Amino acid sequence: MTSTVAILVAATLIPLGYVGWATLSIGWSRAYHLVVRPRVGELLFNTAALVVIAVPLCVVIGVGVAWLVERTDLPGRALWRPLFVAPLAIPAFVNSYAWVGVLPSMHGLSAGVLVSTLSYFPFMYLPVAATLRRLDPAVEESARALGSDTAGVFFRVVLPQLRLAILGGGLLIGVHLLAEFGAFAMLRFDTFTVAIFQQFQVTFDGAAGSMLAGVLVLLCLALLLAEALARGHARFASIGAGVPRAMTPIHLGRNTIPAQAGLVALAVLALGVPVWTIMRWLWIGGAQVWVLNDIGMAVGQTVGLATAAAVLTTVLAFPVAWVAVRSRGVLARSVEGANYVTSSLPGIVTALALVTVAIHVARPLYQSVALIVFAYVLLFMPQALVNIRAGLAQVPPSLEEASRSLGSSPTTTFLRVTLRLTAPAAAAGAALVFVSVATELTATLLLAPTGIRTLSMQFWSFSSELDYAAAAPYALALVVLAIPVTLVLLRQSLKVAAL
Amino acid sequence: MTTTILDVKGLAKSFHGNAVLHDIDLDLPSGTTTAVLGSSGCGKTTLLRLIAGFETPDGGTITIAGRQVASPGSAVAPHRRGVGYVAQDGALFPHLTVGQNIAYGLRGNARSEVRARVAELLETVSLDASYASRRPHQLSGGQQQRVALARALARHPVLMLLDEPFSALDTGLRASTRKAVAGLLAAAGVTTLLVTHDQEEALSIADQVAVMHDGRFTQVGSPQRVYRQPTDRFTAEFLGDCISLPCTVASGVADCTLGRIPVQGSAPEGPATLVLRPEQLVATVVSDSERLDGVGTVIAIEFLGHDVLLTIDPAGDTAPLIVRQHSLSPPPIDAKVRIEVVGNGIVLT
Amino acid sequence: MRGRWSRISSPILIVVSVLAVVLGATACSSSGNAELLVYNAQHESLAKEWIDAFTKETGIKVTYRQGEDAELGNQLIAEGQASPADVFLTENSPAMAAVERAGLFADLDAGTINQVPSQYRPTTGKWTGVAARTTVFVYNKAKLAPDQLPKSLLDLQQPAWKGRWGAPPTNADFQAIVAALLQLKGEAATAQWLAGMKANAVACSDNIATLKTVNAGEVDSGVIYHYYWFRDQAKTREMSGNTALGYFRNQDPGAFLSLSGGGVLKSSKKAQQAQQFLRFITGKAGQEVLQKGDSFEYPVASGVPANPALVPLNELQAPLVNPSTLDAQKVTDLMMKAGLL
Repeated sequence: MTSTVAILVAATLIPLGYVGWATLSIGWSRAYHLVVRPRVGELLFNTAALVVIAVPLCVVIGVGVAWLVERTDLPGRALWRPLFVAPLAIPAFVNSYAWVGVLPSMHGLSAGVLVSTLSYFPFMYLPVAATLRRLDPAVEESARALGSDTAGVFFRVVLPQLRLAILGGGLLIGVHLLAEFGAFAMLRFDTFTVAIFQQFQVTFDGAAGSMLAGVLVLLCLALLLAEALARGHARFASIGAGVPRAMTPIHLGRNTIPAQAGLVALAVLALGVPVWTIMRWLWIGGAQVWVLNDIGMAVGQTVGLATAAAVLTTVLAFPVAWVAVRSRGVLARSVEGANYVTSSLPGIVTALALVTVAIHVARPLYQSVALIVFAYVLLFMPQALVNIRAGLAQVPPSLEEASRSLGSSPTTTFLRVTLRLTAPAAAAGAALVFVSVATELTATLLLAPTGIRTLSMQFWSFSSELDYAAAAPYALALVVLAIPVTLVLLRQSLKVAAL
Repeated sequence: MTTTILDVKGLAKSFHGNAVLHDIDLDLPSGTTTAVLGSSGCGKTTLLRLIAGFETPDGGTITIAGRQVASPGSAVAPHRRGVGYVAQDGALFPHLTVGQNIAYGLRGNARSEVRARVAELLETVSLDASYASRRPHQLSGGQQQRVALARALARHPVLMLLDEPFSALDTGLRASTRKAVAGLLAAAGVTTLLVTHDQEEALSIADQVAVMHDGRFTQVGSPQRVYRQPTDRFTAEFLGDCISLPCTVASGVADCTLGRIPVQGSAPEGPATLVLRPEQLVATVVSDSERLDGVGTVIAIEFLGHDVLLTIDPAGDTAPLIVRQHSLSPPPIDAKVRIEVVGNGIVLT
Repeated sequence: MRGRWSRISSPILIVVSVLAVVLGATACSSSGNAELLVYNAQHESLAKEWIDAFTKETGIKVTYRQGEDAELGNQLIAEGQASPADVFLTENSPAMAAVERAGLFADLDAGTINQVPSQYRPTTGKWTGVAARTTVFVYNKAKLAPDQLPKSLLDLQQPAWKGRWGAPPTNADFQAIVAALLQLKGEAATAQWLAGMKANAVACSDNIATLKTVNAGEVDSGVIYHYYWFRDQAKTREMSGNTALGYFRNQDPGAFLSLSGGGVLKSSKKAQQAQQFLRFITGKAGQEVLQKGDSFEYPVASGVPANPALVPLNELQAPLVNPSTLDAQKVTDLMMKAGLL
């Protein structure tokens, strides 16, 4: 068991190892010249500006929506609740495609911020809403009795308790922004990952790409560090043994109309625009864009790859999660650490690493399905891991001990007790991985075996030739594929407070 | 002259069509402690929340220190009522230190004043000043409760509301914390209303006990009164163990298997049920040779440490009686004992 | 502990079987033994037209791997002799030259060579031009009049053109133009021109973005390849309706005619079919795809004339450039030094 886990952890460190090796093999002065270029400075500025502006916007929107939906008596909030998870079903590059269709002159930082915010605010909304649901209302009532009005209660009592959720969501969004390629390339907004891609096209398996990737890794680590520092040793679980009673919703009164208007506007921007654009392009394209043969094959290949990756990742995540949850000591700590680091790496770094390793060391694996599935496992293992770990943490060892004392072997105990109880969490993890693989673009473009054309690849190929109508059926297929999975996510988030 | 700090008149509240409180009247004189005693779900916590302002009444009014704060359709917001509220498990702010918790309501005051007040309050609740920098999760349940009290007292409220303040504590801690809190509140002279389901708690610290059942008060009075002179069966049984015997009442005396026992003068004549408290029965061992009427046999002994509970089968076909007495040399099983009744009985209709 | 191993083994069995199914399913779509594998850096739609016509005529099935010039070229170089590719098609010459320098191309059949005039293929015979595109100067009609156009590409480095022209420096198409400039005018002049470009030009992500930007009036003019303009004019004109084309002529670097290349890999296991494919593309049927289709690129072989909408090849006065010696690496270095990459 521990050796399996150790191997897996080592595998997830391959991309980092590759970047490190590339750095060393290039030599300091060449590396220096490659990194310290004016263009790199421009890219750094773009990327930093994007993160600094978009993340706080997402915080405001995510917290605002969560508060309205969970805490107030806003009419129709049962409908709003799942609706704002739906943007997760629309990949960011489809969002860009939609906005470019509506406002063709959109480009640059403002466009990047707009699309980023609309695509990623659910990553903030979900954990904040889940935390809000679990807050002890008695604490807020005490604050009101102590003289705080509604705003005072929110800023002095509720918001500080949301800190962990906000930091976690912010980190997730930041990391996604650093790794996003398709969305920004379509908006003609050059961030680091866009440049890495371009570098890679100029010098395949080359120094410049790895150097930029190295800088990107450092940026990701910086984000991780910032979040860890901000989190500190904070522990904001509710104290005391009281059972939290249901919260009396805050009455909005005459604020109801502006609140509803705001939510409607958000839904239109985040969901209405993409859906409408796809429909419009489908209408313009007419019947001829429905090349069922190609579309069918793309759907089949995408589903096949995504399913294989989801199953493999979930299965492999179990022993790792087990070690992380059940044992203490060095292995557990390094598992957690490796998980965090890998979760922040952009797909392109992993893909670059695997391509190089495959060409030089494992030639038969090069351009094989096994390699790309392995890449997906490396990329998305952290997502499955987080969910399974949360699920395992809710299965107390006393249950397993009880089962063992009743005569079940460890295997039977696992199958009959642990697996059953963690099944919802594992399903959510698998669902997440499925969606992520289906909408993954950067690593797929680099690693796909000849003849594999996933939905993302087809979409990308058509939209880069500006054949938006032909790209529309693929965009639609992507969104439709992601919907049921997003519902699983929503249901799971109603039970688990942490994403 | 004592003023009335809290005046509740005709209060009524329904949730989802179910009436939770009916026509509640309650007065709290200044400086006193009142306990609302009732089982879970009887509506006592709702009453507290209405007074605190977290709910609005459907009928009736609430007046605090002469100012009407609630009536159907209009209510003063909780943060403007000047009421101190302590939730069941303290509800300390987990993201603030103890000192910041206590100082929460003191916004707007000078820093040094706040610090001094926090220190003063910590002393009042018998916590060392060093606790100010600790976080709530580092404190025990009892300590958290005391911090919550200090926090609520910080703003010099005219009325303190405590929601089952001791139910979250270990049994061993309960008594001592209770005494400490009672003393503290009395010393501060704060008018207090607490709700509880524990009759011992209500009897020991309250000046006035209001017994609630199904959203109505069955009796309101001093602890001695509600205990010794309950006006109905529910109150009698809720306040403590009862021993019920059939009897016949005639001119202030009830005739039952234990003899003739004086009862309250207003009791109607004729057959009735006589209710006695366990401590009114004294069992004395008799030697076999004495006459056998009015004598029962001990059939079971339950040792409770301080006391024993004797189950005594009286002569005749009356049900066995349970008598509590101190545990030093209790009568053995099968011993013959004579039961004497001390004090007046209660006849309930 | 042992129980846990058995717990892992059954899920792994499931996983292995799932993988096997996936591998099997996807194997059907990847090349079987009889299929030709083309690494295609040309536009996908054009390549598909060629492939469909070829398969129709010969019955030989073809699959392709879509990519960019440099990406696929470097991939071939990295793969070396173990490459699975049979044919390499590009949009511009520098990638072909790089692969040629790595010694990866086989000699082309005489039948293919004879179909292509000598100015449209390298003398080495290792690969051939299969189509061509000319550099053009596209300008917004409201911002520039025909008499205000620059006489030479080199004019654009002058301060007078600051902020008034756009180009896609990260694009292989444009890098080919710079490679031609390097060959024609030398390193010093090229470095100087690139510095001027850094100061003056608006960087766009690709040809289409450049065209759109010029059309929208955000910048006065741009340097792109001709066929993007013609394609849009033939469709909705929404990207080029406000623009017109200027041709540099006079063997100016700005009149550079970039050759799209095609070559057969030495490592190919299906050399005969690969050669046949190239012969088809450079033959009448293949070149007529360029004339009649909507790619608007220039045919170069078998005497097939260009699409009537285009300026004929011989009127372009393109400079004479040796396609084999176009140095992509040097261009990359120079552009990085200038801060464009």
